Formats: sequence, C-alpha cells, structure tokens
Amino acid sequence: MEASESVPGHAAIRGYLARLGAELAECDAALRHDALIDAESHLRAAVRAGASPERAIDEYGSPEEVARAYRGTDDAPGPWRREPATGSAGLAAVPAGDPWSPPAVAAPSARTRGFRGIPIIGIWANPAAWGALAYFGLVGFVLATAYFAWSVGVGALALVLMPTLLGLPVFVALLGSARAICLFEGRVVQTLLGVRMPRRTQPVEGAEGVGFWQRIWCWLRDVRSWLSLAYLLGNFPVSVAAFAVTIGLLATGAALVFAPVLSLLGIPFASVDAGDDVTIHFLWYRLVPSADGTISIPGAAAPASIAIGLALLTATLWLARGLGWMYGHVVQAIQVARPQPVPPRRA
Amino acid sequence: MPPRLADKLERDLSVGTAWLVVLAAIAGAEEPIHGYEIGRRLADEAPEGLSFKQGTLYPMLRAMEADGLVRSTLVPSTEGPARKCFVLTPEGRRVLAAWADTWRRTSRWVSRIVGGLDGSK
Repeated sequence: MEASESVPGHAAIRGYLARLGAELAECDAALRHDALIDAESHLRAAVRAGASPERAIDEYGSPEEVARAYRGTDDAPGPWRREPATGSAGLAAVPAGDPWSPPAVAAPSARTRGFRGIPIIGIWANPAAWGALAYFGLVGFVLATAYFAWSVGVGALALVLMPTLLGLPVFVALLGSARAICLFEGRVVQTLLGVRMPRRTQPVEGAEGVGFWQRIWCWLRDVRSWLSLAYLLGNFPVSVAAFAVTIGLLATGAALVFAPVLSLLGIPFASVDAGDDVTIHFLWYRLVPSADGTISIPGAAAPASIAIGLALLTATLWLARGLGWMYGHVVQAIQVARPQPVPPRRA
Repeated sequence: MPPRLADKLERDLSVGTAWLVVLAAIAGAEEPIHGYEIGRRLADEAPEGLSFKQGTLYPMLRAMEADGLVRSTLVPSTEGPARKCFVLTPEGRRVLAAWADTWRRTSRWVSRIVGGLDGSK
C-alpha cells in the first residue's frame, strides 16, 4: 500500500496545490478556487485508493498543463498527452509551445464587440450593466431586506434562548442558513452581475468522520459561516443606499429625457392649481404655470434636457456596473474563503 | 518530419474524441461516477504511448454540465468529504448516441481508406 497515512496534510499534495494556485494566480478567484478543489479532491481520492502522492500528481498533470486547461476553452481541451520518452517519475516540464495545448482564446476585437466596444456609451449594450441595474434597483434590495429580517429574527431568537442552551442549536442553524443563503446569493450575483462564482464550496479538510459536537465546532470556527452572516447583516444598509441612489438617478435621468418629449407632444410636465404663484427652475429656464395651471418644458430646453438625461442614465449604468463588480467580488471572496483544517486526531 | 506535424493527428484526435470518451465513460458506469473514477478508467484504457492527464478532465466536465449533457450530485463518502459524482442527462444520452454513431461511421470510413496502406512504404 503506497498511500500515506497522513493523507489530509500530505506535503506533496500541498506543494502541488500551491504550484497550481501560483499558475492560476492571475485568473479569476472562482476559477482558481474550482481548479484547486478539483485537484485536491482528485489527488486525495487517488491516494486513498492506494496511489502514492507522486504518482497521483504525475497522472493528474503538471500545474502548467492543468492551469492551461482551466485557462483555455472549457469546451475544447486536449486531454491526451504523449508520455515522455524516458520513464521519468514526477512532473515533466511542458515546453512553452506544447502542441497539445488547447487553442488560445482570442479577446474579442472592437469590431466583433460592435456597439459595446464604443467607449463610454458602449455600456448601453453591456448585459452586466443592465443586470446590475436590475439587481440594485429591485432584486438586491428585496433580497437584502429578506436576508436581514431572517438574520435579525433568528439571531434574536437564539439570543433569547441562549440561557436554556436551546439558543446554541438555533444559532448554529442560523450560521448554516447564512451559508446557504450566501450560496444562493452567489447564483443571483453570477446571473445578474456577471461575476463568476465557484461551482463548489471547499470541504473542510480533515472534517470527515468527526462526531456531532466536533462538526458543530467546525461550523463555528469556519470563517465562511461568520463572513456569510456578516454579509447578510451588513448588506442591508448598503443595499438600501444603493437602491435609493439607483432609483433616484434613474428617475431623474428618465425625467430629463422624457419630460421635454412629453411637452412637445402636448402633455404638460407638471400642473398646479390655477392661480397658485409657483415658479419652477428647470436647468436655466424659469417655468411659469399657464392660465390653466399646466407647466410645460419649452422647446428650446429640450435638446439640453435630453442630453443631460442621457448622460445621467449612462453614468447610472456605469455606476451600477462598477458597484456590481465590487459587490460580486465581495460575495465571491466569501465563497472562495478557505476554511481552517481540522487538526488530525491523536491516536 | 517536423515535430508539429508528428503530433498533429494525435492532437486533433485528442480534441475531437475527448468529449465522446468522457460521455461514454460516464454512461458506462452503473451509478453516478466521480471524476477520479472517470479519469482512472480512461487512463487504464489509454492506448500505448499515450497517457491521460486527469487534471484536464474537470474543466471538460464543467463545460459538459453547463451544456446540459451531464448532471452532478454530491454523494456522501465514508472515506472523506462528499464526492461530486456525474450522471448523463437525457440530452447527454441523445448526444452520446449521435456522436457514437458518427464515430462508428467515421472509423469505418477511415479504416477502409487507411487500412490498405503499408506504413513502411
């Protein structure tokens, strides 16, 4: 039997994972996370099945080869590799021009990107910007409110029940639900904000076969549990602010664009009670109600109003996109956090 | 012969048949199969002179899952963390059947054309 007795912490596997992580250092954190979990899960399964770590690593492929497969097209990797002429053990270096590499993916040119490739206004054709607008303008706000209500409600229940010891399982359940909610949030964020989330969470190393209380202890000391709970609580005020800003900017931008158009069509911008002494300042125009109390945008103000409105809407899309990128990476960071391993039990 | 050309056929075959053999390996399993077992099976059956680098299997499985050809489930394991195991979806079975048919027709055609050649000439 070649398997190491100390499988969970085997130095060769750790070293391999460190090299693979370094190879993928410039890649998306979620992709790197997935690649490391795949490798770790596979290598440990191989060692448990009786292979030596060195042989398992050799069969898995060098970090360079594996990183290339993850970096390259997911749908056209070339998995078959010619064995080295000499029966060398360990990892064989792969030449830079390895003919077995999957074809490189060229970045889309400005021509192929079309309208989206135009600076500044290309944001109007960016699906992630519209997704972010939907997220901050509705979905994120509704979800954040629900998450917050759940966390505060169950947290308060746990606190009240703590003296009876029933509070502990309620609190552990809250931590578990926070993790599950964060996974769900990750799916929403990936769909609407376009930030890739890991496909699988990192198992806690060495947690297999532990008892019930140790498992609870694992949950309590797992950094992802606390990060998830902190996200559910901290996300609420940020989401409310983002919702208010998004809706405010959208409403203002839309009003500036559509009010002159409506006025040109004979639909008044606003109306007041006839006889009221009201003056509205619109851009550099003073709008005075007509005899019947209706207020219309003068035709001369229409171009400037529409231009400012479109600029504001464009800025709103950029703001939503930027905020969405930041939000997505916060959720991603929670999901790729690596839990502390369970120390090996003494014989 | 330039090295690039020496490997060209194997490289092209590798890319062209990878999904087919992985789908077939999953279909051949009686129950949801773990990535390690798929890789092990393909490595064991690898033609002489070639080895299957199992680390390249996982990005492929993810792409297949995204395309709806396979479905993954976490299966509890007594020997370690829950294992991510794969089964074919109905769409995956349809695609595999079509590809297997294409492969059989192609290999018969290639055999007819190439089979009569004497490699030493």
